[in-house]
Amino acid sequence: MASQISTAMDSLNAAVKSNIIPNQEYLLQGSVMDSAVEVLLQRLRGLCDNVDSRPETFRDHEMCFSIRRGPPPEQPLSLRVRRALDHQDMPWQLRYIGQPELGDKSRPTIVRSSIDIATSSTVVEFLTELGCRIDFEYIVQGYMFRKGRMKVTVAKIFKMVQVKIPDNVEPISQSYLVELSVLAPRGQDAIAEDMRIFAEQLRPLVQLEKIDYKRLSH
Amino acid sequence: MQREEKQLDSALEAIILRVSDLKSAIAGMLYKLEHEYETLNWPNFLDNFAIISGHLTSLSKILGHDKAPNMRNFTILPLLLSPEKDEDLLRMTEGRISTFAHDLVPDYLRTKPEPMAEQKMNHLELKASNLTFEASQDSNKQVAQYNKVVSHVWDIAYKAREEWEGEAGARAAQVQTSSSADTHTLVAAIGMGKGLKSDSGPMAQSRVSPGPPGIMAGRSGGQAQAAGQGQIGVGQMGKAPSAIKTNIKAASQIHPYGR
Repeated sequence: MASQISTAMDSLNAAVKSNIIPNQEYLLQGSVMDSAVEVLLQRLRGLCDNVDSRPETFRDHEMCFSIRRGPPPEQPLSLRVRRALDHQDMPWQLRYIGQPELGDKSRPTIVRSSIDIATSSTVVEFLTELGCRIDFEYIVQGYMFRKGRMKVTVAKIFKMVQVKIPDNVEPISQSYLVELSVLAPRGQDAIAEDMRIFAEQLRPLVQLEKIDYKRLSH
Repeated sequence: MQREEKQLDSALEAIILRVSDLKSAIAGMLYKLEHEYETLNWPNFLDNFAIISGHLTSLSKILGHDKAPNMRNFTILPLLLSPEKDEDLLRMTEGRISTFAHDLVPDYLRTKPEPMAEQKMNHLELKASNLTFEASQDSNKQVAQYNKVVSHVWDIAYKAREEWEGEAGARAAQVQTSSSADTHTLVAAIGMGKGLKSDSGPMAQSRVSPGPPGIMAGRSGGQAQAAGQGQIGVGQMGKAPSAIKTNIKAASQIHPYGR
């Protein structure tokens, strides 16, 4: 765990020194039904790098805060706070996610800006004092895999029945959310092609696609 | 139908012509053999052979022609056999066959197997009838065993096929491992809190209740919509410009993690 933190520090130092910040997230999303998740996990174990041990599990609590930047047509700015429920001693994470760019058909993945930083557990108070309001929260629990620079998560999303008590939860669907993402500096579009090829290997078990957020809201 | 009959007729005519040519060629050669054997020389004899073989070639060409009907598909059916002497038949066959009787018809119309095949059949039948009782029992046993083995192999193959087809069927049925509706639900939930906000509504309201009633009314309206329509609710709430500041203040009050 300490090594992970130092790795994060290393990458931060490297970013500061070279002035290159991995602030673009390349993303593909899909889902797999509960009945088929075992098959998917087996396949991912075969495809990904961290296969010697059991797949890494995680259980996170994510809160989405929003703050108004201006009068109505302006979209509220949202910030996400995430903490690991299974590793209480790990730092919390504050993350900004920009508007996703779908691009045209030639672009294989969604690209959105993403900046994250480790924080202490007082970040919630800090945001509240800034005037942010909690928009929604959920529990995300599942498995993560690594393949080169790509990160794959297979996770169930739970709604919190009672606020502040992460044990009392209920799943919001009969499927696991599957996300394939890479954090990279701006302009490294080659990685998107790798992601497309990787996503092809998971078909037809999972259809990893560019999901249009705007269409979903209607 | 008529066209086919006409074709058959013309083909038959051509064949009969060729056959009579062939016959006369053979007759000519036989005549030479019988009457001129003293003066006959090899080149002459071979010429005759060449003529016969030419006739045979042209006959087989006619039979193999595209437009010629397939003679194999036609059956000759002897309708009446009689032991009486038949003058017409005698004339037609140039004195070779005088009666259309039981002893001749099978040979001429091939109603029995070829002599070679018949000979073989007879041989086998003789062998079978000469077998001793034990030997036949033994072979019967072997046959039974063989049948058993064959049926066993057939069973295995059948089972394997069934399994294979079942597997293929299961795979086809299993194709549905992901649902785009679920994907959309999940993505909308983590992206915009769709379906997650409904519970935060009542909670926020209960917390805000000690606040001023006016603000609360504005808030609860906004929250109700947020609960119903997700992201849109946030925009709606902001439509009351005067409430912005109060909202922020209210948010700080209602915040579940405020301590």
